[in-house]
Amino acid sequence: MMSTAQELHPAPTLEPGRTILELQGLEKRYPGTHALKPVDLAFKAGEIHAIVGENGAGKSTLIKLLTGVMPRTSGDVIWEGKPAALATPHEAMALGINAVHQEVVLCRHLTVAANMFLGEEDARFGILQQRAMVRQAQKIIDDLGFDLPAHVMLGDLTIGQQQLIAAARATVRGTKFLIFDEPTAYLTRKEADQLFTLIRRLKGEGVTIIYISHRMEEVFELADRVSVLRDGTLVGTRNIAETNDAELVKMMINRSIEQVYHKEHFTPGAMLVETRNLSGKGFENVSMSVRAGEIVGLYGLIGAGRSEFVTTLYGRHRKSAGQILWEGKEVKVNSEHDAIRLGMALAPESRRDQGLCLNLPVGLNLNLPIYKRISNNLLISRAQEKAQADRQIADLRIKTPTRGALASSLSGGNQQKIVIGKWLAHGAKLFIFDEPTVGVDVGTKAEIYRLFGALLSKGAGIILISSYLPEVYELADTLHVFRRGKLVATHGFRTADHEEILTQALAEKQEKPGGRI
Amino acid sequence: MSTEAIAVERPKRNYNALFGLTLLALLVLLWVILSVATPSFASANNISNLLRQGSMIAILAVGQTFVIITGGIDLSVGAVVGFATVIVAMLINAGTPVFLAILITLLVGVAIGMFHGFGIVKMGLPPFIITLATLTSLRGIGLLMTNGNSISINNDAFQTFSRSSFVGVPNLFWMVILVGIPAYIFLHHSRWGRYLFSVGSNAEASRLSGVNVQRTIYMAYTLSGLCAAFVGVLLASRIGIGNPTQAEGWELQAIASSVIGGTSLFGAVGSVHGPLLGAFILATINNGANLLNVNAFWQRIITGVLIIVIVYFDGLRRRGK
Repeated sequence: MMSTAQELHPAPTLEPGRTILELQGLEKRYPGTHALKPVDLAFKAGEIHAIVGENGAGKSTLIKLLTGVMPRTSGDVIWEGKPAALATPHEAMALGINAVHQEVVLCRHLTVAANMFLGEEDARFGILQQRAMVRQAQKIIDDLGFDLPAHVMLGDLTIGQQQLIAAARATVRGTKFLIFDEPTAYLTRKEADQLFTLIRRLKGEGVTIIYISHRMEEVFELADRVSVLRDGTLVGTRNIAETNDAELVKMMINRSIEQVYHKEHFTPGAMLVETRNLSGKGFENVSMSVRAGEIVGLYGLIGAGRSEFVTTLYGRHRKSAGQILWEGKEVKVNSEHDAIRLGMALAPESRRDQGLCLNLPVGLNLNLPIYKRISNNLLISRAQEKAQADRQIADLRIKTPTRGALASSLSGGNQQKIVIGKWLAHGAKLFIFDEPTVGVDVGTKAEIYRLFGALLSKGAGIILISSYLPEVYELADTLHVFRRGKLVATHGFRTADHEEILTQALAEKQEKPGGRI
Repeated sequence: MSTEAIAVERPKRNYNALFGLTLLALLVLLWVILSVATPSFASANNISNLLRQGSMIAILAVGQTFVIITGGIDLSVGAVVGFATVIVAMLINAGTPVFLAILITLLVGVAIGMFHGFGIVKMGLPPFIITLATLTSLRGIGLLMTNGNSISINNDAFQTFSRSSFVGVPNLFWMVILVGIPAYIFLHHSRWGRYLFSVGSNAEASRLSGVNVQRTIYMAYTLSGLCAAFVGVLLASRIGIGNPTQAEGWELQAIASSVIGGTSLFGAVGSVHGPLLGAFILATINNGANLLNVNAFWQRIITGVLIIVIVYFDGLRRRGK
């Protein structure tokens, strides 16, 4: 079933061009979201098939279904003419379906060779044949043209090199169908070239490749065909020779704008915060400002440096250069504490990791920033604690049985309301929302947008980070585009079209000069 | 969907009180059984003795619980108790007024706790490691200071304190109340108590919400060190000597009491009354086993089994299934 360590390369059974895997009405629903609407798509044996789409378009969901990580809601997957259940990762691997993930999922504290044979070690009478495995691993690596040693700890390699090892690992496993999920996100150009060589070579051996990427030029460099996903729907599939950048971008974003965007315009008031050439880990040289009554949107791909920028502004990380001005005066923000005292509030990107104390009550989460205020000297005023929590629960319509229920028992949308709600009682002048509507249903989204309007009307300013273009496009008075840690373009409210903004966020080589104001 | 959630959530609200009552019921049940099974258990003398036995572990367990709520552990408390007996004995024998000697000993406990906070916050050491290191080195320092000998305390008043009673209740038990009430107010009615829970639940979220996470961790270990030094003073008073090898293994008894009392070693779950009840349940089992002439070796096994059973059922109910 599984290939042995000795077997160097896979032996696909189908002749090229025949359908190896077919999706028939494949569908996935999560509570509150329809992540993948019924998709029909056939992959041909031996092709490189690129899948593109914005964040949240359903690409990750598709991978998870194909690799057996998650069960599908409905539909069929036909593998080599026979229906496949794909209920477990093991089953997918047994069929020959493997994935190389964006984040390396291998053991950093084992050697390269040990990782390559992890789970199917070469052993004689129960004793690992370590030297034999290192030799074989080295042979495979050399054979692939990677200049890497097999005996070192995986953790000693760069992330890019680890990615190459992960790809090499997939080649020794009898793989017929290999999915690459944005593999070049952390690679240097040279490493990317090595990876492309590997991918072309696998194709030459008849392996079917699914290549998921944001980067248009890679898609055109590698792929035979390309499919576009948008909002969980398959928009279309094109032969690479018959399409171009512009058409793909248009397919990715050509959506009906939902009527959830509630936008109120206010006359911008006093300057709240201004950064001058601010640099830090993950971003550099960012200059921008926020006025009272204004929403400043930050658009870009994941990893473009937007979150790093706002967390540095908020004092979570140290800046390496540049200035922060608060209400016109230069300030030092050395900790979150400083930022909160000035009047900033942050609703962070990850609710689970940064936003909530999940195994504590809703009320405690809501009151966390204001316990000092509702305490007199030593003791908390229980009456105020209750009143404040109940007020936020009522105002924001947080669906929870009581303020004593654990935050983990609420739905994603209601959890997000807690993350936002804890700052409303505290009272801030600048609200930073980092991806506030990820995993939130449409109704809650609309409520959150109305809340933005209410905050602005009281003279607050908002920084809104979103990877979902329509959101920032429809809401932001000023829209900054980030790419690879830099602020690359700025637009006013609806002064540019979607194509232009997306191109600026994606573009590697050419940049439209007209984008800047 | 929401009605379903309500049905699930309602009982959880009073979960802490409910669990506390269950523990209390268990303790009472043990007392009733032992009163019937042995003639001597219910005697005033034995009850006083039991309260004395349980009191010191109970106070240690309270400090330990603060630390465990933040998601940490303090393995040093037994060694701090032994070390504190040496400090207080030496100070009293050197002619320091008793009041001042006690105060200095408590400050030493505070300093040890601050050092733990420093090691965790500034040096980035895991709590298990830094407190394990203190455990072994404090015993060593104490042995160096005493040359491995016990120091007899030359002060009768200091020693009679822990042997006498007030309105029929041993003074040592009054000390549990003296520690327990402020600890309860601190944990459940002050914002610092809330911060202990929030840091134990999610330090990053607490930090981004403006909670001073580092100070909270310092505070937890300092309070644990303070409780341990206080127990050291009480122990010195009870046995009349200072000896650095005293209180061997008490850290494990304190952790066991805390865990039996419903504290989660994953942090963010715990109370003050739970560990107190836990400590007295353990003391009762030991006391009862002695009276029933159960082999002392069996007592340890029974304690181990009890920890597994109670924590297992607590975990089952917590998951609400």
